[in-house]
Amino acid sequence: MELIELYIQEVTRRLPEKNREDIALELQSTIEDMLPDDYTEQDVKEVLLKLGDPVTLASGYRDRPMHLIGPRYYDVYISLLKMILPIAAVISLIALIGENVFGDIGEKTVIEVVIMLIGKGIAGIISTGIQVFFWLTLLFAILERTDTSKDQMPLTKSLKRWTPEDLKHIPNISKKKVIPKIEIFGSLLGISIFAAVYFNAANLLGVYEGRNNGLIFVTPSFNQEVLNSYWPLIFCIIILGVILAIYKLLVGQWTLKLALFNAIYQLLSTITFIIIISNPNLFTHEFITYISNLFSINEWKSSIYWGVILIDVFFTVLESYKGFRKAKIR
Amino acid sequence: MSTLLNSLTTELRRGTLTLAVLSQLKKPQYGYSLVQRLEKSGITIDQSTLYPLLRRLEKQELVTSSWDTTESRPRKYYILSDYGNKIFIQLKKEWEKTSQELYILLKGEEDDGTD
Repeated sequence: MELIELYIQEVTRRLPEKNREDIALELQSTIEDMLPDDYTEQDVKEVLLKLGDPVTLASGYRDRPMHLIGPRYYDVYISLLKMILPIAAVISLIALIGENVFGDIGEKTVIEVVIMLIGKGIAGIISTGIQVFFWLTLLFAILERTDTSKDQMPLTKSLKRWTPEDLKHIPNISKKKVIPKIEIFGSLLGISIFAAVYFNAANLLGVYEGRNNGLIFVTPSFNQEVLNSYWPLIFCIIILGVILAIYKLLVGQWTLKLALFNAIYQLLSTITFIIIISNPNLFTHEFITYISNLFSINEWKSSIYWGVILIDVFFTVLESYKGFRKAKIR
Repeated sequence: MSTLLNSLTTELRRGTLTLAVLSQLKKPQYGYSLVQRLEKSGITIDQSTLYPLLRRLEKQELVTSSWDTTESRPRKYYILSDYGNKIFIQLKKEWEKTSQELYILLKGEEDDGTD
């Protein structure tokens, strides 16, 4: 007797309240029907074994699915996840840039700042990733349970049934033209590190000397006021860089348009670099004196200046060319 | 029997279960009497499938149910509704057609083998 009641309880507690009593009564009478008149505990066990696992029986009674996301929604769910995760990661990195253009770095060395920003970037990507995963999964679990349509066919991204027309919307991306997501993340992280270092150059970049078992910041290399005076140019470069990264993410592959945009971006960065480096007050007096004491650079000054510009131009041309070359691949 | 064959057989039979149950509900039946009737015709049915199936058929308005409390133990009786009867007749036709087609198909395969 005891066993029967326990069994029925095990089934009904998994069912919605309103059906419990009726199903319990029916199960009770069914089990009694199956038992002989004078039954033993062994008989009861045999009957219950025939009815099977209470969990399975209960799931048979329930209309709600026993899975979080079923075959109808699974593919849309995975596609959306793959689409949204990189976008969310990019947004979190852009937020990191914003934070560091206006933020105060405090007393840190360059290495510390770079490591801190890389750490923050990765942590940001992971935490937004978890957020996206959680909310999207929740959304689809709810959809799965509220969808009352009898249609069991899997859905496409537009939440409609598949038709041959859908094939036309599939972008045909060749492996050689594809832009890896990691490249986009890397360039955004690079921009945020650049912004942080640029606007805190007086604290970060300069001459360090080893004294008392540690590095001491002797003198900054750059005049922060000079650097700061170029802020509109720098802002333009940062915003263009961010737009370029978003554009790369959306297009997903190298196209002529993208290669052109990339070339313009590279060109503007180089022009900005040349303008800033040509400012005679860029370096602090202390720095120049310090360097002059170490090496006799005065006669080399213009050679170094032109050398640096030449190297920069070379890389600009190379990067722009790479974009066009990949865009031309068929 | 291998487990694969087992699961394939179960799958093959699953679809016919509704038809088998509907066919026995022209007169009112309660759960266990239905199991016995089906077993007498050689159809073994997983009981954990049958009882929920009856409920589902009721929800789909193919059968109606009523409690009989006049006997020593209360029993829930199920009987085909008018709508259920219509569906049953159509489903029966479908089955006859399918089994006929499959019969010819399998027969043809046998003949090919003997050639």
